[in-house]
Amino acid sequence: MSKTISQPGHGVSRRAVLAGMGAAGSMAAAGTMPTPAEAQTVTLRWWSPQTAPAQREAYNFQIQTFEAANPGVKVNFEATSDEGYPAQMAAAFASGQVPNVVTHLPSFAVSSYWQNGLLEPFNDVINMIGPQNFFEGANRIYEVAPGQYAGTGIGGSAANMMWLRTDLMREAGLTTPRTWDQLRAACQRLQRAPVFGAPLPYARNSMTSLIFISFVHGAGGSIFTPDLQVNVDNDAFRNALEFYKSMREFCPPGATNYSWGDSLTAFVSGATATGIYTGRVLANVTQQNPRIADFVTCQPYPTISTSVPHWTFNDFPSVMIPKGAPNLDITKRFAAHLFRADGYIRQLHAAPGHVLPVLKTVYESAAYQENALIKKYAADVQIMSQQASAGHNLGWETVRHKPNTKAGQIIASHVFAEAVQRYVGANEPMAQVVSGVARRLDELMRA
Amino acid sequence: MSGNPLDKRYAVLGAMLIAPTVLVFCAVIVYPLVSALYLSLFTIFTPTLRGSFVGLGNYAYLVNSPEFWRSLWNTLLWTICTLALQIVFGVAAALMLHQNIVFRSLARSLILFPYFVSTVVAVLVWRWLFNDLYGVMNHLMLMAGLIKMPLDWLGSMPNAMISIILVGAWKYFPFVVIAVLARLQTIPDALYEAAKIDGAGAWSRFVDITLPQLRDVLVVVVLLRAIWDFKEFDLIYLLTGGGPIIATQTLPLMVYKDAFGLNDMGRASAVAVSMMLVMLSFMVLYLKLAGRDERESQR
Repeated sequence: MSKTISQPGHGVSRRAVLAGMGAAGSMAAAGTMPTPAEAQTVTLRWWSPQTAPAQREAYNFQIQTFEAANPGVKVNFEATSDEGYPAQMAAAFASGQVPNVVTHLPSFAVSSYWQNGLLEPFNDVINMIGPQNFFEGANRIYEVAPGQYAGTGIGGSAANMMWLRTDLMREAGLTTPRTWDQLRAACQRLQRAPVFGAPLPYARNSMTSLIFISFVHGAGGSIFTPDLQVNVDNDAFRNALEFYKSMREFCPPGATNYSWGDSLTAFVSGATATGIYTGRVLANVTQQNPRIADFVTCQPYPTISTSVPHWTFNDFPSVMIPKGAPNLDITKRFAAHLFRADGYIRQLHAAPGHVLPVLKTVYESAAYQENALIKKYAADVQIMSQQASAGHNLGWETVRHKPNTKAGQIIASHVFAEAVQRYVGANEPMAQVVSGVARRLDELMRA
Repeated sequence: MSGNPLDKRYAVLGAMLIAPTVLVFCAVIVYPLVSALYLSLFTIFTPTLRGSFVGLGNYAYLVNSPEFWRSLWNTLLWTICTLALQIVFGVAAALMLHQNIVFRSLARSLILFPYFVSTVVAVLVWRWLFNDLYGVMNHLMLMAGLIKMPLDWLGSMPNAMISIILVGAWKYFPFVVIAVLARLQTIPDALYEAAKIDGAGAWSRFVDITLPQLRDVLVVVVLLRAIWDFKEFDLIYLLTGGGPIIATQTLPLMVYKDAFGLNDMGRASAVAVSMMLVMLSFMVLYLKLAGRDERESQR
């Protein structure tokens, strides 16, 4: 006999109530019980490792304008990081919980994910943006097969620009160093307590790897041959290691643990006389250390000799859509929306010179050029733009190289950073370090 | 016996009653364990979870991998050293907080702070303290004339290992304090009074009364903290990233690198399974030794 819960005019058994509650709970848990809000709302997830406060404000503007133009659509921004994105992306792909749009990851991540069938084709988005609006060749690195694009660039970056303090240079009677010898000599002259010469990283992280790769190219070499054979047992690779080691005495003791943020802060705070970074220096100096804001300038990083051209590391910050992203049509519209002039310019202005435009229509627009920092540092921004447009990275070392889809895993393996630490910090013999790198690269390429 | 319907019904009822526990146990213990064992027999590309069977190939690779053995050594070194410091500091702090000192309640609350604060925040604070250019540690040592150049706390050896051990001890010693303090409050005062009458000094009272009374709780604390320290990831990863080179890379960091950096979930699983086996061996040994000591002390 079951007891009843008495209500005016009704007699409902307790068992029936519990059964109803159970069913409702099950439906809610299974997501089959739509609420009015859920019935109309499409939620998109946007991931990016570029999350400085000013950039977040720009992203919020882009999200708001998209939501306003697309009622019922909600966009959630989720931060990832330069060091952490491989793990987060791997977990997202493995679990099937992928974000809709991922921005600002290096181009080689796009190549790698595409090769493994993890991305949606991107042609539709590029067509929405207008292929004619891009700089010539801006999307070449994303063209995975003739006419087939895996992503696009959301900007360009010149990651290894040499930053200089003109006031300190003038005091020391120095001119802009062009070669490594000149840079060493300048650092020697500029290093006066408490100011160090340079903030190069010697840590086990991606920055050390990327800077070292740029030094190998600065020595006239490359990590791989154009057909992607390991190419490290040569003078260029050894010279790059020697140069890196020779610069250690000009870097702060804690450089053995420096990443991008630490290196940037060291120069911006005035603790080092030279720096190595993108154009983010401009905004940070202006906001955090205006005392030196009139005395900073940048040049391409020196090379071993004047006969070796500059090699600029451009990670080609990308936009991509993971395979399996829900609501594909609206996702593509959102990806294209990120390039709408008003929001895109805000995003670029959030860190002037840090992320450089890929749309020539935007670069030439008065709205982009009207930024106070871009005006003030026009010459520096121009140099960075030129360098970025001719830039490369491990996924595409030179115009002669094939795309290297293993670049992401090679960086994540820390093989180069460890080589620097072994040679500079642990004083291991050069031959041992070089052979170790060659062996590990070979393993990684064959894996 | 088997024909008794009441027995049968009780047997069915028993099975039904225990079924939820068994199901939960299978879901949260057996399934992940079997999955890890199964995955470790394959080479698997993490993002797609596709791969091929390699049998014991991953284990053979680990046996011949200097990185694995170095990481295992680092894990043991980190676990033993940080655990020893946690126990020493934890017992000392608990003894202090057991005394009638002013603001005892406040001190008891504050001492738990490192344990409650998020690891990310704690690491940020410590990285700031260790900073070569602006860090308080270097600043004070320079001012005191102890050093002429800032020390590289996190980027060179042995400083990096010492630093993570100290930060680990600071972060987790309050757990020992909580457990030991609770036990201290239950030790009868009569024991101490009797010892005093017998002429025992403070050290003798500590060694002959307090420590034996704390023995049971310390066995559990050491067991739990050893397990947790052995698989510590975030604190070490955020402080040194495993560097310099792989000098502070522990097995959990190796699992992470293999699984997500190199996208080799199979090898990462093999490291994780090896880690579990090592931990299990030590725990069995530890519990056997602890049990033997207890039996001997009861004779």
